[in-house]
Amino acid sequence: MKSGLVRRLFLGAALALPMLGGAAVAQADDPLYVFVSHSPDSDSWWNVIKNALKDAAKDFHVRVEFRNPPNGDLADMARIIEQATAQKPAGIISTIADYSVLESPLKAAIAKGIPVITVNSGTAEESKKLGALMHIGQPEYDAGKGAGARAKAAGVTKFLCVNHYITNNASVERCQGYADGLGVKLADQMVDSGMDPTDVYNRVKAYLTAHPDTDGILTLGPNSADPVIKLLRDTKSASKYKSFISFDLDADISNAIKDGTMESAIDQQPYLQGYLPVAFRVQYVQFGVIPANNVNTGPGFVTKANISLVEKYAGEYR
Amino acid sequence: MAAPNPTNVDQTTPTRPLIEVKNVTKFFGPVVALTGVSMTVNAREVHCLLGDNGAGKSTLIKTLSGVYQPSEGEILIDGAPVHFANPRAALDRGVATVFQDLAMIPLLSVTRNFFMGREPAKRKGPFAFIDMKHADEITREQMHKIGIDIRDPQQAVGTLSGGERQCVAIARAVYFGAKVLILDEPTSALGVAQTSMVLKYVRQVRARGLGVIFITHNVRHAYAVGDRFTVLNRGRTMGTFAKSEITLDGLQTMMAGDKELQDLAELEGTI
Amino acid sequence: MADTLAPDKTAQPDKILQKARDERMKSQNRWRKFLQHPEFGALAGVILVFVFFGITAGDSGMFAADGVLNWTTVSAQLILIACAAALLMIGGEFDLSVGSMIGFAGMMIAIPMVYFGWSALASTAFAFVGAMAVGFLNGWIVVRTRLPSFIVTLASLYILRGLTIALSIVFSNRTIVSGVKEAAGDSIIPALFAGIAFRPLFVWFSDIGFVDKLADGTPAVQGVPAVILWALGLAFIAHVVLTRTRVGNWIFAAGGDANAARNVGVPVTRVKIALFMFTAFCATVYATNQIFEFGSAASDRGLLKEFEAIIAAVIGGCLLTGGYGSIVGACFGALIFGVVQMGILFTGVPNDWFRVFLGAMLLTAVLFNNMIRRRVTGER
Repeated sequence: MKSGLVRRLFLGAALALPMLGGAAVAQADDPLYVFVSHSPDSDSWWNVIKNALKDAAKDFHVRVEFRNPPNGDLADMARIIEQATAQKPAGIISTIADYSVLESPLKAAIAKGIPVITVNSGTAEESKKLGALMHIGQPEYDAGKGAGARAKAAGVTKFLCVNHYITNNASVERCQGYADGLGVKLADQMVDSGMDPTDVYNRVKAYLTAHPDTDGILTLGPNSADPVIKLLRDTKSASKYKSFISFDLDADISNAIKDGTMESAIDQQPYLQGYLPVAFRVQYVQFGVIPANNVNTGPGFVTKANISLVEKYAGEYR
Repeated sequence: MAAPNPTNVDQTTPTRPLIEVKNVTKFFGPVVALTGVSMTVNAREVHCLLGDNGAGKSTLIKTLSGVYQPSEGEILIDGAPVHFANPRAALDRGVATVFQDLAMIPLLSVTRNFFMGREPAKRKGPFAFIDMKHADEITREQMHKIGIDIRDPQQAVGTLSGGERQCVAIARAVYFGAKVLILDEPTSALGVAQTSMVLKYVRQVRARGLGVIFITHNVRHAYAVGDRFTVLNRGRTMGTFAKSEITLDGLQTMMAGDKELQDLAELEGTI
Repeated sequence: MADTLAPDKTAQPDKILQKARDERMKSQNRWRKFLQHPEFGALAGVILVFVFFGITAGDSGMFAADGVLNWTTVSAQLILIACAAALLMIGGEFDLSVGSMIGFAGMMIAIPMVYFGWSALASTAFAFVGAMAVGFLNGWIVVRTRLPSFIVTLASLYILRGLTIALSIVFSNRTIVSGVKEAAGDSIIPALFAGIAFRPLFVWFSDIGFVDKLADGTPAVQGVPAVILWALGLAFIAHVVLTRTRVGNWIFAAGGDANAARNVGVPVTRVKIALFMFTAFCATVYATNQIFEFGSAASDRGLLKEFEAIIAAVIGGCLLTGGYGSIVGACFGALIFGVVQMGILFTGVPNDWFRVFLGAMLLTAVLFNNMIRRRVTGER
């Protein structure tokens, strides 16, 4: 029994070493900023923000940790915020995926003296109600509406909104905004496609076959856009759609814009959502300066005309 | 020879058999498992049921213990016909069966196994708590009677040997008031020492006044402990004999059938 | 009682056998008996985990009052469903629909309150009754069809999760139903399930410096959350029922060998159905606590929690094959899971590697527990 125990203890110590080593490299006494997102592990869109956080950490000589609930469960996200609060970091940066769920942990963090900046999901009013320093993001509903207006200008009357993360309320607001911008009812023109590319492909195909007079498509991100791009190419039906707009960018989307499959992409410029909160916080600590109001990082519409820079960095920094 | 006080059966020597099987037939669809089987078991008697594999022993046992119901014929207890809809009904009438799997759960303690389904309870409000102290005492006492000295009745039944487990299963049946005890191949998986332990206990049980039906395909074991013998072959009874009426070899011959034994005799050994 | 029949020729060999057996069995002293309890392996795992995080995250805030509150709350929530999973596993079955039931029960409370004006009490009662009815159905199908409970409850998992998503969209056109706190008004139900107890005690703690004070003078940890009390209460009841009542013995029997149990008259069917209803009950307690803590029901609540419950039960010493296990062990397993889940974040492991480390630590905890159990019970 003794030898087995000793062996196990060594194993445990072996597990500990990489962690201690990792911490040493990052200079353990640099201030810690915790970025909490609501995304499940499978959502690839956050890669740009993660890179922005890494850049900000390097530029400002701080530690930044990205955390998220593995399955996207907001109840788990609340616990992660509570855990971060207990660690007493120099600042917490969080999305407001759902106000009522996150209200209590974020307010508790602020009450403990940890400054909070909200990013991405959530509205400016919610951020203010919480007592956060500021909100950096793209108003969902408005972004959707902007896309809807573009679609209306292109002559769209019936649309499909492909929602790949329906459990996040913000996603529905995007589709709702689009519908309102277009001037039609949302009704069942929003489809829960799931995240799996095969599921997205097949469910969209089924919908378009059943609704042949659809002439506008809105996808809410690369997870839903890429399979739809493939579908339109496979069925050679891209020209049927007067407006195909997607939220966010990646390599497939930028190629689609270049070759005309897609009209434009709504860029909320997530790099700014990662970099700016860290930058503002550090400068506030150093010099006491911070912007007087919120920062809208989007919607920026990326079209054939302005795509070249996007292309270069799609999925990494754009 | 003075008979010890039986606790399970009438003091007076009964004239009726404890259990009587009359012309029982059992079909499973087109397959006839038992045809016109009849036998009786008296108190203070070990009646061995012999037959090779496939003779219908297990079907007969299951019919007697309430797992199956006879297609034809009847079963009488104390002279009155009975119908066992399920094993619990048979148990309630005093017919206890110890199947080959023993109904023992190896990971549970001896006490918990002993009292399974019939745990002694102390009621506190709406809750029925097991009176574990009492149960432990009785278990230890009963084990001691069989001759198994367990240090701790809370030890797992799995720590006992096969023969000991068999005895615990029998002791359980006897303790809970069995009048007729049916043992399904109790010694088939045991070594020599453990077999003798079980046979010794079976004799004790007989002395207490129960009737025992001892199913086996091992004629030696049967002859060591039995008072009467019934041989089953292909679902029929080939006859019932008292020990004085038949020899070991005679039983063997009847079980195997003359032809097969002649071939074996050439090997110049005994089975 | 002496055997008065013919003298037994095997008497002498018996004595020899008895002596031989005595020599083989070492006498069991009380310490060894303690070690043999199924919980000991799990307790050893708890100690190992605390030592590990003590070394790697000792000054990160993990063991400050609000750090302790953080992982204690996560563990307590898991204890609610781990106890039920453990009882059911000991009884020989699995319930994979627990996570979906948490989401579904949440909707059963939130939708009537927010859209039909029901009181908190009525909605909560409705959720409990409805959930236990589903539990009954699960159990009944398993027992009737003799299909593996794995399969039956996997179907329930999908059906319940789908209903949760569909119903929330039907009523609120969103996948979150909010506004529960407002709809509850002054009902005591929110406080009962999600309130905070022992506030005065923690004010005193903060006065004596045991707990930090916030800038406005209130203690950093305001009290003991209700979920912890519910978890301890349910665990206590489950433990007592399992180890000290007749029903508990029936649960062991049903899991150890259902056929044998039936043959001696244990009501196996009723026991199993009752166990499925208990898991539904515990899932609803979990959901109610979440609803009133967060003020909303969401369609992804409880996702994959059934596996966490099963893992906690297994870490705690319950055999997957049934018939053996302990509630105290399952509580330790849930504690390990909660400490590891939050502890990894305190140690600063890169987030991308979170799941790798979580899985590795759980595996280590289970192996450690297994090794201890085998050495101590002499199993080979």
